[in-house]
Amino acid sequence: MKILVVDDSRTMRVIIMRVLAQLGIKNVIEAGDGQAALEIFKNNHFDAVLSDWNMPIMNGLDFLKEVRQINKTIPFLMITTEAERGNVVSAIQAGVTDYVIKPFTQDALRKKLEQRIASLV
Amino acid sequence: MLQENNISNFRLFIRENVMTTAIKRTSEITAKIVNPLLSSTKDVFETMLGCTPVRSGLSLKTRNNPEHELSAVIGITGNAVGTIVLSVKKQTALNIYETMLGTKAEEIDQDVMDAVGEITNMIAGVAKAKLQSLSLSISIPNLISGKGHEVHYPTEVTPICLSFESDMGSFCIEAGFSPKE
Repeated sequence: MKILVVDDSRTMRVIIMRVLAQLGIKNVIEAGDGQAALEIFKNNHFDAVLSDWNMPIMNGLDFLKEVRQINKTIPFLMITTEAERGNVVSAIQAGVTDYVIKPFTQDALRKKLEQRIASLV
Repeated sequence: MLQENNISNFRLFIRENVMTTAIKRTSEITAKIVNPLLSSTKDVFETMLGCTPVRSGLSLKTRNNPEHELSAVIGITGNAVGTIVLSVKKQTALNIYETMLGTKAEEIDQDVMDAVGEITNMIAGVAKAKLQSLSLSISIPNLISGKGHEVHYPTEVTPICLSFESDMGSFCIEAGFSPKE
């Protein structure tokens, strides 16, 4: 299983990758913004994408829309503080698979990833 | 002469009242954000850092220097515009990094700044979600370090400073807002 983790914060990427490793998922590629992630996504096969929303250059919502142009079914989880109803609706309309609201405990993130990603292994 | 004095007094009256109204609106909007900021700070510290911060003070800021040597600054736009700053002591920043990443750092480097910036991003993001009526957007955090550094707010804004003590160490949340014109 190969996962793309996108967040402008290295701290968050490390925390997410640590939780993925606990689930036995170690084949992870990281990107720091939506534009860089899109280039990587176009040139690799992934089984799921975990992305932040609020990032420089290209935000997570625009990245999600680009991903859905290429792949309609890949699990795409948004990990973000953007919890307002309007933003959640925008993400659902763009085809998000699930939402993880920051802040989160590593246990809560692990449960969500088990539910959405580990089942694909 | 009498007429000129009347016009002058009228102008003064208008200027003072318009200024008072502007400052009042600015103070109201800054006050409106205090409680969401308090609860979002508590939420983020408890969830991400496993400790409950205790508020040790609330004051109006009269100078541009944040309380401590490292600042994470987030700009806010929408129906209110302003700035939220997380100001931390060096040791507080190192403790935040160690708690989030599980590894020690001796000095403030890019990784430590990133951890402090992400905590600030979450505090601002959670507060924003509690203020949906203002339709706010938040910027990417900017990090500034060094003793005596300054953060500037719009001239009509008197920022507030919320001081906290926590297991991570001392820190402050500073914020100043004005309504969108």
